[in-house]
Amino acid sequence: MEITFAVLLWGVRIAFLVLLYLFLVRAFGVLHRSLVAERAADGATRSLGVLVVERSAGHAPRVGERFSLRASTSIGRDAGNDVPLSDEAASARHAVLELRDGDWWIEDLGSTNGTLVNGTRIDRAERLRFGDELAIGRIAMRIEKWAG
Amino acid sequence: MGGLIALTRRRPELGLLFWVAAVGITGSVAVAAAETAGFRPQQLVIPVTFVVVAFVLHVFLAARGVRGDQLLLPLAAVLTALGLVLVQRLASNLLLQQLSWTFIAAGAFAATILIPRDITALSRYKWTWAILGILLLMSPLLPVIGREVNGARIWIGFGAVNFEPWEAVKILLVIFFAAYLEEFREVLAQTQRRFGPIPVPPVPYLVPIVAMWAIAMVVMVFEKDLGATLLFLGIFLAMLYLATGEAFYTLIGIVLLVVGGFLAYQVFGHVAARVDVWLHPFSEEVRFDAGYQLVQGLFALANGGLFGAGLGNGMPERIPVVWSDFVFDAFAEEVGFAGALALLALYLLFVYRGMLIALRAPTPFLQLLAAGLSFIVALQTLVIVGGNARLIPLTGITLPFVAYGGSSLVTNWMLVALLIRVSDTTARVRGTP
Repeated sequence: MEITFAVLLWGVRIAFLVLLYLFLVRAFGVLHRSLVAERAADGATRSLGVLVVERSAGHAPRVGERFSLRASTSIGRDAGNDVPLSDEAASARHAVLELRDGDWWIEDLGSTNGTLVNGTRIDRAERLRFGDELAIGRIAMRIEKWAG
Repeated sequence: MGGLIALTRRRPELGLLFWVAAVGITGSVAVAAAETAGFRPQQLVIPVTFVVVAFVLHVFLAARGVRGDQLLLPLAAVLTALGLVLVQRLASNLLLQQLSWTFIAAGAFAATILIPRDITALSRYKWTWAILGILLLMSPLLPVIGREVNGARIWIGFGAVNFEPWEAVKILLVIFFAAYLEEFREVLAQTQRRFGPIPVPPVPYLVPIVAMWAIAMVVMVFEKDLGATLLFLGIFLAMLYLATGEAFYTLIGIVLLVVGGFLAYQVFGHVAARVDVWLHPFSEEVRFDAGYQLVQGLFALANGGLFGAGLGNGMPERIPVVWSDFVFDAFAEEVGFAGALALLALYLLFVYRGMLIALRAPTPFLQLLAAGLSFIVALQTLVIVGGNARLIPLTGITLPFVAYGGSSLVTNWMLVALLIRVSDTTARVRGTP
């Protein structure tokens, strides 16, 4: 009786260590699989984007200037915007570009003169595709896939 | 139906939690069975209760539709379960108290998942966090609520409940640093003026850096808390380096720390005592006095060998205050090098996962936040394990999730929740599960 108990006790002690290591192995497995899945998802919807200025009236922004987009990118006349526009037709906080579920969306923030996507004025959040053209006042910009 | 689909989304997490249950319950059985009083099945109530809490948290995350990371919850849960096993082993009278702290920690975790609707918005209130953090940091110095325990004045107490404000402060500071550095990192990084290899940034932006150093020194001097000082400065320097990529700032910080540390060694008795114990623990004067705890810890560590004495079979009770300061040595004595290595690997996985979350996060604020939070866990583990093994002077830092202590457990679970939130935001932005 005494001996069986001692053997059992050692069994439990060893099982504890073994289980600890099994947990570690499983955890590494989960990490590895999630890394692989993330990489695959990134490859499929390479979502990073840039705005390229195509037309501009003043000195800021210059034609050809590129703004790399953040997950939420503000556009407007204020210097504090991620993409500042020096155009009287632009409102202080004019519009916002947002990444949602791997797609870029543009939303007008109630600006005075509106935002145009491929020549059409938008009245609600609109999904963009790479190559679409945004126009605000006399400034036009194209959203492109970030290469590099 | 939609609810059921949501529940299956976090399958890997669920799978890992079964292993957490196995580890926690086996450990508890091993400890209970080794007791001289014999095996009492009632003792299993505690690990089982905690496992239920962990599963509830999993269901909560799945029902909320939280996306992204599925590794941090099981890792935090297995570390907390090991903590419960060790408290049962080392200070079983504190076990119920520690279990109730895990409930509070789970509540804090859930609240952090629920409450800030948009965690990016945390950066807007950065000065609020900074002021709140500094007030909390200074609070132990106040006459009525401040408490001095074992020579360090780092506690505040209301009646029977004691809380270590430093624990909450570290998270507030990481949020503040992340927000501050997101705003000013370009100014700090792209300095035009250089004096030789030394960048000369615009002075106003350096003021917070010097202020941080000054506050760290105040804490060291008045609260006699070496560990907090080290962590505080370490977090800030690491985040500054991450944000600016300018190694020189880190260098200045380290030089200031060394100068401050040397002065403290010369001027303050408690700092000098810690260093002396670290350098000569076996000398006649300290062996049975100030160095007793460390020496007993070293013996325990050495006794462990490759596979240890077996859980419940060692003599960790010979180390004074083992359940809060020396859990690592106690664990290593009973499960040996093999077990200690597994424990360190768990922390490594946690920190690695945290850094990966930081790398993928969509905005600089979230990147710095996740990196800073992971760094807290990394630095704490390093400082306390290093202190236990006499690699560096011993400080009062706790081993995250494992050591006995409520404030630390609650804030660490909030830290996990914040990391999961960052990962969730990233998944939503990038459109990954």
